[in-house]
Amino acid sequence: MKKKSKINSGASWGYAFIAPTIIGLCALNIWPFIETIILSFSKAHKFGAATFTGLDNYVRMFSSMEFWQATWNSVYFCILTVPVGVFLALLVAIMLNSRIKAKMTFRAIYFLPMVVAPAAVAMVWKWLFNANYGIINVVFHAHIDWLTNPNLAIVSCAIVAIWSAIGYDAVLLLSGLQNVPKSLYEAASLDGASKLQQFFHITLPMTSPTLFVVIIMRLMASLKVYDLLYMMISESNPALLNTQSLMYLFYRESFVIGNKGYGSAIVIWTVFLIGAVTALQFWGQKKWVNYDV
Amino acid sequence: MKKKMKYLGILAVVVAAILMFAGCSQSGSGSSSGSSDGQTNLTFAIWDKGQKDGMEAIAKAYMEKHPNVKIEVQVTDWSEYWTKLEANVNSNTLPDIFWMHTNEILEYADAGILADVSDIVDTSHFSDASLSNAKGSDGKLYGVPKDKDSIGLVYNKELFDQAGVAYPNESWTWDDIVSASQKIYDKTGKYGYMAYADEQLGYWNFVYQAGGYILSPDKTKGGFDQPATKKAMAFYTGLQKYDWCPDQNYFAENSPGDSFFSGKGAMYLEGSWNMLAECENYPEMNGKWDVAVLPKCPDPVSGDGRATVTNGLTYATAAKGKNREAAMDFLKFLGSEEGQRIQGESGAAIPAYKGLEDTWVNVFKNKGYQLDAQKFIDMLAYGVPGPNSISRPAWKTEVNAELLQIYSGAQTLDQGLAHMQTLINQASAEK
Amino acid sequence: MKNNEATIDRNQKMKSAGAARTRSMTLIYVFLILGGILMVFPFVWMILTSLKTNAEAMMIPPTFFPVAASFASFTEALTSLPFPRLYWNTALLIIFRVLCAVAFSSMAGFAFAKLEFKGKNILFSLVLIQMMLPSQIFIIPQYKMLAAMGMTNTIFALVFPGLVSAFGTFFLRQAYLGIPDEIIEAAYLDGCNTWQVFTRVLFPLTKGPVAAISIFTAVFAYTDLMWPLIANTDLNMMTLSSGLSTLNGQFTTNYPVLMAGSLLSMLPMVILYLVFQKQFIEGIAMTGGK
Repeated sequence: MKKKSKINSGASWGYAFIAPTIIGLCALNIWPFIETIILSFSKAHKFGAATFTGLDNYVRMFSSMEFWQATWNSVYFCILTVPVGVFLALLVAIMLNSRIKAKMTFRAIYFLPMVVAPAAVAMVWKWLFNANYGIINVVFHAHIDWLTNPNLAIVSCAIVAIWSAIGYDAVLLLSGLQNVPKSLYEAASLDGASKLQQFFHITLPMTSPTLFVVIIMRLMASLKVYDLLYMMISESNPALLNTQSLMYLFYRESFVIGNKGYGSAIVIWTVFLIGAVTALQFWGQKKWVNYDV
Repeated sequence: MKKKMKYLGILAVVVAAILMFAGCSQSGSGSSSGSSDGQTNLTFAIWDKGQKDGMEAIAKAYMEKHPNVKIEVQVTDWSEYWTKLEANVNSNTLPDIFWMHTNEILEYADAGILADVSDIVDTSHFSDASLSNAKGSDGKLYGVPKDKDSIGLVYNKELFDQAGVAYPNESWTWDDIVSASQKIYDKTGKYGYMAYADEQLGYWNFVYQAGGYILSPDKTKGGFDQPATKKAMAFYTGLQKYDWCPDQNYFAENSPGDSFFSGKGAMYLEGSWNMLAECENYPEMNGKWDVAVLPKCPDPVSGDGRATVTNGLTYATAAKGKNREAAMDFLKFLGSEEGQRIQGESGAAIPAYKGLEDTWVNVFKNKGYQLDAQKFIDMLAYGVPGPNSISRPAWKTEVNAELLQIYSGAQTLDQGLAHMQTLINQASAEK
Repeated sequence: MKNNEATIDRNQKMKSAGAARTRSMTLIYVFLILGGILMVFPFVWMILTSLKTNAEAMMIPPTFFPVAASFASFTEALTSLPFPRLYWNTALLIIFRVLCAVAFSSMAGFAFAKLEFKGKNILFSLVLIQMMLPSQIFIIPQYKMLAAMGMTNTIFALVFPGLVSAFGTFFLRQAYLGIPDEIIEAAYLDGCNTWQVFTRVLFPLTKGPVAAISIFTAVFAYTDLMWPLIANTDLNMMTLSSGLSTLNGQFTTNYPVLMAGSLLSMLPMVILYLVFQKQFIEGIAMTGGK
């Protein structure tokens, strides 16, 4: 239940505080967004003027099998990475917050994936997953086509995505966890609450604001995924059709083929999708996110 | 304590702001092109680190003759090069000289971004293939031909010896590749000819050897409905059914090059541009591998059965560049005998300039690499320019996707070829 | 008598609680160690690769330990790239972006969370919109702006896209929402104006989230590859990640050198993180939350 803030400081303070950020956002980000919207209704190549073509791009987009497949791929990727990823990150954050020894060492270890160069990450994971010579298949005496099976490739990429993100998310969640006073836990223990009960009744509600942010961020990032897929799945990979995300398609259309109008339409659709998911989250936050202390 | 923090904070911000703007002037020498005190600074953009030394050698030779000009070679990774160039076009900040590729030159030339270089290139020194790589759709020259390349058959001598098979030679045909692969596989268990779904390093060569084509001469139609093309495609895609050829799933994860140099397979098609790097990267393999001319088609529908795809990069400059005159002068040098010779001697690539091919071949000899690089030059006699048109970027990926579906069995060869044909025709009509 | 029973009872409860705690601690250690191995494995792989020759690194199937470990790739990496300059540029990039993110996002986060003004929700939705947009659509428009200002090839160019942080604003707004209004009211009663309420009372309460955002922004800036590459053409003005990418040949990459370069780039970041960690996180423990 949000209490109406009793601060009456005059609207000018509010505007002054948000001015740098909002001005920056408008110039750097919102303007390109508007340009993209306009472009999505035109036909434009790399160089040269854009000609207005109305809904042509959208019609073409919505009747493309490849496009719908890419939409599903992005959504599926999101489903694979967000719940598992955030849950694992929360687990890790809780553990890193507990009374373990060598806290610094563990934190540094879980932080490492955040700073490993993406090229190195791709190289290592591609080797791990290699169907013929990869360590995973060798150790388990299997011949699973991790990266070339159309049904499996996206799952493999999701695993890499979760691996990369746990460090990020755990750091953010840690900051939320540390704001929970230890006294609450102590009181609960004395009252006989089990660790699990403490988790659900203290930890979760008190870190829900931070958790909310992390979930939103992961949802957005997974629906926008491109770099990871680009590095893990080559153009000649038979699994490409079932793995390529909307942004992958956008990059190909806008930068490789040079069809900026069509590419922009894909972007607008993606933003719409993300917007819908985000709106859902914001509506849902009333049910479980707790801002009161 | 809090006040101290506040002052420290303000101090930090002030110092930081000063540093940030100091960063402007400290930006190193020749980072922005322009002239000052009669000194002209030119930027020269390339995408291959492996050729940086060669390009710098050419620049050095030019700078010795023109002491008031300073040229800086800048390398940008291939995957970002084109985005960067596009950003440069949009803000009128193109590098003074930059490499251009056949994939992109038509787009750039037709949009009027590149300068017309017809006046500074002596076309008698360059083959038709080289010149066609540098032309816009209007037939004018928009780039100075830089190099030329061809595709050869690279083979592992040790595996051949183990299987008791004679090395590939000029008499080889498609049938020889199949039989040799089979024998090698039977005797050693290793792959034979590793045929993967690539165009330039794969089926294009076979299509032209059979007398077919990918794109019609007037660039309006595809060639996948031609009997010769179909014949070549049937042969090429059929190779996968043999045990000695890995399937496309394998190639999606392991490049033929890596497999070859790990001793996993006996033959594959490679471009001349990779030869030097591979010699340098795999010194233990020196003497254990060599290159042969591509096998010919035994029964071509037309022609003599011989073909190799040849391509070439060009040097270009902006039509509206700030240092246009200076850049054009350097471009002229890049296309001159001396400029091309330095390029060949650095081993970077085969010079496009006719008659200088030996400089490149000699690099291998001088460095002690036992590779018959001359074969790449010999094949230029029947080199075919890679099919290219302004609409190619639009169908390239999708045609490839169709091919993969043929390989996976999701569609028959005829269905796939028909789709490819439609794709090319449609895209060509739209542009 | 009754006291004794109660004591025994409590002792038993504490013993079983103690046993349970030991069990859960062991479980935690096991999980963290296993997970830790998974986190560290690619890093170990990078180190091993950097010690091999290129031929060995590309071997199919991959070998684990190098046949003859050598630091040649490190020497080559050090001579191929101007590392001192790359470190410096990356450091400046990170410092500025973090300063901007923390300063502007704290102010905006506070305002969106605790102040009332017209159009607040619409303006906040701009923040959300930015987060929803894919970064590829910003590159060319931002570069055009930069070129028009004549500021390409500078540190400012590197910082440019990160002058403001939408995510930072969003995250810090959450943090400020969690602060009880009573504290603010108390500060007002003490005679503070809004700016003082913000700087003296509220901002210090957000140390944890600020630290998190700092780390997050730093890492994001550090791994940003496409933008520094496009904005700055001079190798001496690049960052570590974009400088590293120039080591890629078009067709053949010397992987040991690339890995060596990546390791040399990573080291400062790891050290930085450990230093940051100590400063802020332990600071929290002492102030004890609210």
